[in-house]
Amino acid sequence: MADLLHFEDFVPGQAFRLGTHVLTAEEVIEFAREFDPQPQHTDPEAAKQSMLGGLAASGWHLGALAMRLMVDGLFNRATSMGSPGIDEIQWRKPVLVGDRVRLDGEVLDTRLSTRPDRGFVRFRFSMTRDEDARKGEPVMLFVCSVMFGRRREDAA
Amino acid sequence: MWFEDVPLNAKVTLGSYTFTEENIISFAKRYDPQPFHVDPEAAARSAYGGLIASGWHTAAVWMKLMLAHRRARIEAGAEATQANYVSPGVRELRWLKPVRPGTTLTYTNETFAKRDWKTRPQFGLVEGRNEACDERGELYYTFVNRVLIARRHSPPPALSPKGGKEN
Repeated sequence: MADLLHFEDFVPGQAFRLGTHVLTAEEVIEFAREFDPQPQHTDPEAAKQSMLGGLAASGWHLGALAMRLMVDGLFNRATSMGSPGIDEIQWRKPVLVGDRVRLDGEVLDTRLSTRPDRGFVRFRFSMTRDEDARKGEPVMLFVCSVMFGRRREDAA
Repeated sequence: MWFEDVPLNAKVTLGSYTFTEENIISFAKRYDPQPFHVDPEAAARSAYGGLIASGWHTAAVWMKLMLAHRRARIEAGAEATQANYVSPGVRELRWLKPVRPGTTLTYTNETFAKRDWKTRPQFGLVEGRNEACDERGELYYTFVNRVLIARRHSPPPALSPKGGKEN
């Protein structure tokens, strides 16, 4: 377990590239049928008439996809102990089927918990388009605290 | 429902959802595959002492219940069919207690603010406090939702705290 990232390994300003994902119609519709069954997320024809301009992912789906990229790209090689909350989520632009997005994380600050085995790391995560025409355009931003286990003192 | 018709400070119960080992693992395998969300044995050894739901699962259930609540009101004739609501974001999501298998959470929503939205003046912004509690009233999850709702009148008239009639 020595190569897992611990609380002490995170420092303000540290940046993490957390991977990319191409949104498919199947996953957009599947998530939306279960959690957000509105036409702009479930019906390709009706979605063209909507404010979003085409079949678009639910904002909650984008959050869940970001979580998956965070887990695969960082948390599963760290001592993640879950999150007490998110300060704010901004959904800036619709993400349509076929769009490729990437997730980046930056450490804002860190603080120890009153519990001696863990500390809090506050991140800003940004999901941006990863396509030539609109590369870098933010589609979702959120600031989130995550708990990480501390190194045992005798192992430091 | 038009923006003008949204009542302020009315607390409504959106509905309830039971988290089970099956739906916790099913969601987390897809979106949040950390050991304490997907593996009961690893979860038992974790700081949580057992399986808990992903926070994104707890959050997504709110949307499911909100839409089911609205659909039921439309079917009952209490609310007119209206263009879909769009959200620019949400604030202050707080996962206060771990949600374990067998927990049934009841979600409530209370609108506390109605604001102008300068970039799309044909819409207004509604903000609401949301809570999810178990049967004993223990609070598990809170957040502030924000939604853009079309105005009946454009340009907008002065806001009325009481709102207008249903159309």
